[in-house]
Amino acid sequence: MKRFLKENSLSLFFLLIFALALVGQAVAGNGQYNDRQLVDGGQPISVVEYVASSDFAVDVAENWQSEYLQFLLFIVATVWLVQRGSPESKEVGREGGESDEDQMVGRHAQPESPNWATAGGWRRAVFSNSLGWVMGTIFVLSWLAQSVAGLAANNSERLAELRDPQDWGAYVIGPEFWSRTLQNWQSEFLAVASMVVLSIFLRQRGSPESKPVGAPHDATGVEG
Amino acid sequence: MRPAVVVLALLVPLAVAGCAADTGAPARTAERFVAAVTARQGEAACALLAARAAQKLPDKGQTCAQALVELGLREGPVVSAVVWGDEAQVRTTRDTIFLHRFGGGWRVRAAGCTPRGDDLPYDCEVES
Repeated sequence: MKRFLKENSLSLFFLLIFALALVGQAVAGNGQYNDRQLVDGGQPISVVEYVASSDFAVDVAENWQSEYLQFLLFIVATVWLVQRGSPESKEVGREGGESDEDQMVGRHAQPESPNWATAGGWRRAVFSNSLGWVMGTIFVLSWLAQSVAGLAANNSERLAELRDPQDWGAYVIGPEFWSRTLQNWQSEFLAVASMVVLSIFLRQRGSPESKPVGAPHDATGVEG
Repeated sequence: MRPAVVVLALLVPLAVAGCAADTGAPARTAERFVAAVTARQGEAACALLAARAAQKLPDKGQTCAQALVELGLREGPVVSAVVWGDEAQVRTTRDTIFLHRFGGGWRVRAAGCTPRGDDLPYDCEVES
């Protein structure tokens, strides 16, 4: 058990703070929702009712989609784009999918390589891009969930304002959907750009996301 | 792959939250409200109004029931009803009515509503 915790501490830490943050969001969001209800002459609802509401769902989904998009773009863009001096980048000149030898697939696979890396055909093609496909699928589904839950929350607001509700098509080309979407995207893109550039010149001793403290600024693709 | 399956399983309830809606209950409340008003049963109609709408409606020296009967809202069969969250819009052949779901059931927030166009709020004779 102790060994399991030690060997998986990074995943477990983030899953734990994810759960705590989600619970915190539910409690704080419920408080905010009930404040609004008071102003609008409605009735307060419980945390459980709030968690099942479209208001909570859209707030969760809009953040999920942007985070998965961020990592999807980071995973895919770093195949072809490089940044000299950044530990987040490959070395300049290695852009692209790289050779089978570099990627240890087919006859270059190691004895401990996953089976689908050793295999040929569609299995190797699928496995070679599986991280991007899964992150991309979660991004698309999260964005879809945001659009459906956002439509429900927005239509509830529109009816409370004595306006006609919208259909899904009108909602996803409207300002509410894109304001929610782009306010999340811009922050994610800035964070990635900051990480790529700042890690050229700054160090975090012991972190694999940083170069070793003594590595030169122009060393690319070196992780500590 | 297991974490991805967990994420996908979490997305399904996110997507359907707020989608399932019973339109029958607000439609029945709207029908009862309009029927009471047109039958000049002001007290019964006022009991179906949201508290804030009932407070705002009468002029000085009037009761809610008197004010409501004087408005002369037009009765007609329900042609459509939509529910989003705790809000509903019921259209009859001659009126548009907005309702809110309270602990005690659906109550009318606005009635005698005419559209103003350009996606603006309806202009309503009864409004909370």
